[in-house]
Amino acid sequence: MLGLALGLAIVVAAAAGHDWATPADLWRAVSGDSDLRSRLLFEWRIPRVLAAGLVGALLGLGGTIFQGVFRNPLAEPYLLGSAGGAALGATVALLVPLAAPQSLALPVLAFAGAWGATVLVIGISRVSGAVDAAGLLLAGVAVAAILGALRSFLMLALSDETVSLQIVLSWVLGGVQTPTWGLLGLLALMSAACLALCLMLAGRLDVLGLGETMASAFGLDVRRFIATAVLAGSVVVAVAVAFGGLVAFVGLAAPHIARWLVGPLHRPLVPASALVGAIIVVLADAIARAALPPAEIPLGLVTAIAGGPFFILLLARRLRT
Amino acid sequence: MRRATAAPLMVRDAFDRTVSFAAPPQRIVTIFASNTEIVAALGLAQRIVGIEAFTRYPPEVLDRPLVGGRLGFSVDAVVAERPDLVIVTPSRQAANQLIDPMERLGIPIIVLLQRTLAEIMANIRLVGRICGVAERGEAVASRLEARMAKVRDKIGGLPAPSTIMITGRLGNGLLLVARDGTYTGDAIVRAGGRFGLESRGVLAQISPEAILNADPDVLLLAGSETQLADLIGRPGWLDLSAVRAKRAYAVSRAELLIPGPRTVDGIERLARLFHPAVGQR
Repeated sequence: MLGLALGLAIVVAAAAGHDWATPADLWRAVSGDSDLRSRLLFEWRIPRVLAAGLVGALLGLGGTIFQGVFRNPLAEPYLLGSAGGAALGATVALLVPLAAPQSLALPVLAFAGAWGATVLVIGISRVSGAVDAAGLLLAGVAVAAILGALRSFLMLALSDETVSLQIVLSWVLGGVQTPTWGLLGLLALMSAACLALCLMLAGRLDVLGLGETMASAFGLDVRRFIATAVLAGSVVVAVAVAFGGLVAFVGLAAPHIARWLVGPLHRPLVPASALVGAIIVVLADAIARAALPPAEIPLGLVTAIAGGPFFILLLARRLRT
Repeated sequence: MRRATAAPLMVRDAFDRTVSFAAPPQRIVTIFASNTEIVAALGLAQRIVGIEAFTRYPPEVLDRPLVGGRLGFSVDAVVAERPDLVIVTPSRQAANQLIDPMERLGIPIIVLLQRTLAEIMANIRLVGRICGVAERGEAVASRLEARMAKVRDKIGGLPAPSTIMITGRLGNGLLLVARDGTYTGDAIVRAGGRFGLESRGVLAQISPEAILNADPDVLLLAGSETQLADLIGRPGWLDLSAVRAKRAYAVSRAELLIPGPRTVDGIERLARLFHPAVGQR
């Protein structure tokens, strides 16, 4: 069912844009037509739609891991400093003249920032002897504050005109970088690996869900597992951030919607969250492209503005029943 | 004017990219007013097929389809005009958003940087060459250069008044000022002024206190008379030498904050403000 919905979302999104494409246009594009419009669809729009789906799936996965580890419905993938770290890395890539081309530096530094920040958070809580949910959260808040301030300083110091601040701002607000087909293949492989990784954690997340004491009684090394799961989750999020910037709200909402559909057990929940996340981001990216032509709304704003009320509605219905 | 049989023209742009043209482009999308004005100054306004939402000049191109604005630039909208040349400047997100897709789709895209008047002149010549009107590009640029040389000759030897030009006001009360190393700063120097504030550090934002402390001979605000009156009506500003001597002026944003041919108009006007005794023209 979810797979079908995703397929439909991908087709609608591939058609959506400044000029809406008809199914016939799409068919011509994928069957190798060399007209400029067909090449636009094939070289630019379709890879972007697929990348949006994978970014959404990764955010759904990341959100599921973080909500499972912290056993908190408000946990989201950017919780442990990864948003701040990714934004700092991206700011450096966008504003500092580097030897590497920006198309390479941006995803690599965003990934390094996102993952590095979470590793730093785990390191801090380990040094202070509190590798539990509360210790991690506090360390995460502190690291996020420091990284945010560093980014703001770099933005003010490195941009010679105020307008170039927009580049950083729009990255922070999210937006799928359109990959080449080769890079899209790489992203697909990484996403598949992330899905496998999350499925491997699923059973132990269910055990942890019983509470730390109970989980220990079942023989789970709680502290070690939390550190492992958080590291794994942050890799997933870092891949999403490298290709999609910071996309608000999806990582929080997708696991909840998936839970209402398939229940709380992680083995079905993990793939369902990925599918729900993919559907949300594919549709949101289509809205970002088509809503206010010729402008493009940053993706993170669409997910928050369109997704927020939808989520509230679902929540209200859920509470009433 | 077509050169269909000639070898393709190869040019190098501001990002050191090599772009080749088999024939002079006939359908041009110009991103940012500066690039639109350069193409229009070459008499090629009719070749412009797309502009961005904040282009206000020249009037004959304002009916062209918009391909972007404050919220960024749309690849779809640019491609829909089927351009054979896209001209961008790496400001806002233009270069980020457009170079990669245009390269992938095989649409020639060149990046122009206009950080000094010399770069503006070089770009006029470059766009002239690309568009198959090299002589016209040369003529337009030389005429502008001659006007700047005339200003230089007239002000030669006169003492340069210390000048601060305010280009923007931030929400937190700080001010943006024109700095050395920008075309606006270049325009101030070419018009016979000198910077009233030493550029210090890396931040472009200046506290109003620093301006009061520097007490320049001439205070410029890129904006309207109303904005100027509002600014100098604030506590402390009336004591500035420039304000007391009635040498606080509102100057044109279009001339001094868009790096194009009109910047030379701005230089001539600034020169008259800096050196009122010297009649320009």
